[in-house]
Amino acid sequence: MIQLTNIEKYYANKGVKNYVLRLVTTTINQGEFVSIMGPSGAGKSTLLNIIGMLEEPTYGIYNFLGEDVTNLNERKRIELYRNHIGFVFQAYHLIDEMTVYENIEAPLLYKKVGSGERASRIADLLDRFNMVAKKDLFPNQLSGGQQQLVGIARALAAQPSIILADEPTGNLQSAQAEEIMSLFKKLNEEEGITIIQVTHSEKNAQYGSRILHIADGLIKEDVAVTA
Amino acid sequence: MFKLNLKIAWRNLWKNKGYTFINVLGLSIGMASCILIFIFIRYQMSFDQGFKNEDRIFRVVTDWNYNAYDDFSAGVPIPFSAAARNEIAGFEKVGSILKRGGVISIKDAVGKEKLKSREAVYYTQPDFFDIFSDIKWIYSAPELALSKPNSAVLTEKYAIKFFGSVKSAIGKTITVGNKTDLLVAGIIEDQPQNSSFPLGIVISYETFAGRFNENWDSVNSSTSSYVLLKDGLTAKDVQASLKRFNQKYYPIEKIAGNQKNKLQPLRDIHFSEKYDNFADSSINKSELYGLAVIGLFLIITACINFINLSTAQSVNRSKEVGVRKVMGSKRKQLVSQFLTETFAVSLVALLIACVITELAIPPMQNLFKGTIEFSLFAHPVIFIFMAILVLFVSFLAGFYPAIIISKFNPALAIKNKISLNNGGLSLRKILVVVQFSITVILIIGTLVIIKQMQYVQEKPLGFNPNAVAIVGIPTDSLSKIRYNTFKEKVLRIPGVKEMSFCQSAPLSSDINSSDFTYNGIKNGDFELRNMRADENFFKVFDLKLIAGKIFRKSDTANACVVNETFLKKMHILNPQDAIGKVISASGNTVPISGVVKDFNDQSLKEHISGLAIFPGNDQYWNVAIKMDSEQLVSSMKDIEAVWKNNFPNGIFDSGFVNQSINSYYESEQIMGTLFKVFAGVIIFISFIGLFGLISFVTTQRTKEVAIRKVLGASTIELVKMLNGSFLIMVFIANMVAWPLAYLFVFKWLSGFAYRIDISIWPFALAMVISMAITLITVSIRSYKAAAANTIDALKYE
Repeated sequence: MIQLTNIEKYYANKGVKNYVLRLVTTTINQGEFVSIMGPSGAGKSTLLNIIGMLEEPTYGIYNFLGEDVTNLNERKRIELYRNHIGFVFQAYHLIDEMTVYENIEAPLLYKKVGSGERASRIADLLDRFNMVAKKDLFPNQLSGGQQQLVGIARALAAQPSIILADEPTGNLQSAQAEEIMSLFKKLNEEEGITIIQVTHSEKNAQYGSRILHIADGLIKEDVAVTA
Repeated sequence: MFKLNLKIAWRNLWKNKGYTFINVLGLSIGMASCILIFIFIRYQMSFDQGFKNEDRIFRVVTDWNYNAYDDFSAGVPIPFSAAARNEIAGFEKVGSILKRGGVISIKDAVGKEKLKSREAVYYTQPDFFDIFSDIKWIYSAPELALSKPNSAVLTEKYAIKFFGSVKSAIGKTITVGNKTDLLVAGIIEDQPQNSSFPLGIVISYETFAGRFNENWDSVNSSTSSYVLLKDGLTAKDVQASLKRFNQKYYPIEKIAGNQKNKLQPLRDIHFSEKYDNFADSSINKSELYGLAVIGLFLIITACINFINLSTAQSVNRSKEVGVRKVMGSKRKQLVSQFLTETFAVSLVALLIACVITELAIPPMQNLFKGTIEFSLFAHPVIFIFMAILVLFVSFLAGFYPAIIISKFNPALAIKNKISLNNGGLSLRKILVVVQFSITVILIIGTLVIIKQMQYVQEKPLGFNPNAVAIVGIPTDSLSKIRYNTFKEKVLRIPGVKEMSFCQSAPLSSDINSSDFTYNGIKNGDFELRNMRADENFFKVFDLKLIAGKIFRKSDTANACVVNETFLKKMHILNPQDAIGKVISASGNTVPISGVVKDFNDQSLKEHISGLAIFPGNDQYWNVAIKMDSEQLVSSMKDIEAVWKNNFPNGIFDSGFVNQSINSYYESEQIMGTLFKVFAGVIIFISFIGLFGLISFVTTQRTKEVAIRKVLGASTIELVKMLNGSFLIMVFIANMVAWPLAYLFVFKWLSGFAYRIDISIWPFALAMVISMAITLITVSIRSYKAAAANTIDALKYE
């Protein structure tokens, strides 16, 4: 599904190249649950951003669903966002001015899903996440864990094939974090959604099926998790 | 602390150069416009100001109530002053002053004419100067100089013009007309421009030939009388005696129109619509208020920009506010810090505004044909105004942002988590709506004024004024003998097609009207306008007859031609019915020989009057000459030569009919220009403000835009979203502005008897213009925001 070949990313500053990623080559298949781990500044988030096409690699080839997306135009990229990729952020990034319901609805509006279909999908998601009672609340009226649930619901609304999560539990207490991680595991196992997450926590990584250890921009280790 | 505040203010302004530039630019343009308007209003308000007894000085005016209309004159009957002086006890002084035109000639030592010019002269009683005792006498005194016949008083300016210096003027002789020699018996100081009686050459009243006239029925608007009430009295106190006076001299059975004299306060003269004045410079107070409102609009628009942009910027400064609060700064100190900043900006804006004002003064003087001299630094009150302006602006513009910024919660502020988007109806949105309503009102006003002026210029007047010159002719008996030779010679000039002796062009404000008798019945409903012209008048101006024929060539009135409006007013349906009926008006009793098709005899502000055109050799003072438009210049030159040759004692004086018609709309044209300029300024200020605001909004919504983008929103969708709220605001502003603009436009147009219909298109066009400019301005920024790199906005704090 995702094929990275010799991906490099550096920032040139006064002629000196500061490498964030060097020669990253890996393949992630449909249905995998990958955790990217490593110390601060190792390039984890950058790698995830490149996978999410939020940043472009300086060098290298990136194939997404068999298509070279290294230099994708905006229209194509938006097409991918609408249909294939869901994002979950550490800081949730809900839209403060919109209710829970409206936040979940937003990607469906952009995908131009009909209103009946929209209502049923949102109702389904709210139901699944036990948030029916909270659908008219604003993000700042929810706890962090609840906000993150909304964030995930929003990511799932468009029925993506892959979820990219950047430290999804970084701002949460451990109980809430466990809840989110089991949810991810469930989504991965039951619905076959590919999940790639960046995490600091060894414990969270254990929920996944594979761990990529990154240090100084290089993949140091690529291990499968044995449950 | 203050110094530190200033230093920080300076650094902040420098850091946000873009916003600072927009702020200062908007403010300084707004301020400059305000200062200009203030200078103009101050000048107008200063008319006839500063006389010691100004609240006891009045001008006497005359009113008439006819059955169908009221009439007003700034003059009084000639016997008024003498009678009032004796009979109204409340008057301390009564002084007559008459304005007339005259040819002044000055002879040098050997008796050769060295200077000749047409000037306004004022026949004045010494009492006039007792009333206006503040007018300084450089030589002699009122009683001494103006009691005897054949004596004159000059202002310094005229003394220097005629004789080189004040000293050499005293005791010299000037000649008015052809034969009246006057002794220069006194010198007074020059009169200021802002005077309703701009004295220059003052002649003793005893010299005035008509001073023994006893006719209470005839009023010339240039025969004025000023009175000084006794100390402690007000206009009310003399009301009763004035009423008795009116009853005594204007008995209803003898004098038509219920004639009455009234007192008009000195300071009202300049602002009077009904009564004219010697300086021909009156201005409507409502026009001044209108200008003041525009000035207020301008400064409010500029302040709204400032408020919006400051609150916008404040987010970027929340950290500073948080840190200061943590360090122990009181809210009051923060408010004063931000007010200091605003003050600094306003002060810089004022300096730039002064420069702009200086640059704008010459074109403004030009707009008023140089009759008014403006100066930025001549009056201390302008400085006071500037100081007030700066304080007003810094307070109005600085207070709200200062309150908002100083209210930030320090904990949130330090984390940069301040959000100003409080959903609902924020003050900012209301301000934008106000700002754009003002802009739209001015756009609509400007469009309507332009359209009406175009209409006025293009409406057929019912006669052809093109290539016709009006040339004055002397009226003394000697010159009259030469009229015929003059005509023969003029008609021989190449390019001259036709010539007519007359009083004025068909459209003229020079009105001579009287009551009349038609078919033996005296009319009480309206006054007949009497025009004097010979039979060629109709050909020169291409006037069409709809019935009968033109009167025969004659030296005296043998018949007359009336117009359609006359028939309408007399309820005569068939024009043929009027032919042959006898009209008796102002001393002529003649049959009607023809009916002329209606033409506009006054500016389009007025309706067409009922009028009659009589021939009458002894009452022409102009000739109208129709020329070939290709040969205008050369023909005029020849005409002038023939004229000077024929009337050696006169002064040649000519003008084109077209130009004089345009001069009736001068104040409207000035208004139009002012509107165009100020509408342009307000549009500019509003839109740079809008640009600043959209910059702020996009900064505020960067995160949201980024989130929406990863959710699959396209750039176009995001631009639409960002623009939407602005377009809605401008749309609402249009809705607010329309009724207000309609009221204004309706009021303005009602000043014209002939006007365009108010249609939807200026309103629609204003909406299109404002929406289009908004869309362009806003899209520049919102596109940039929508196309920005997503990841920068989504990085963690």
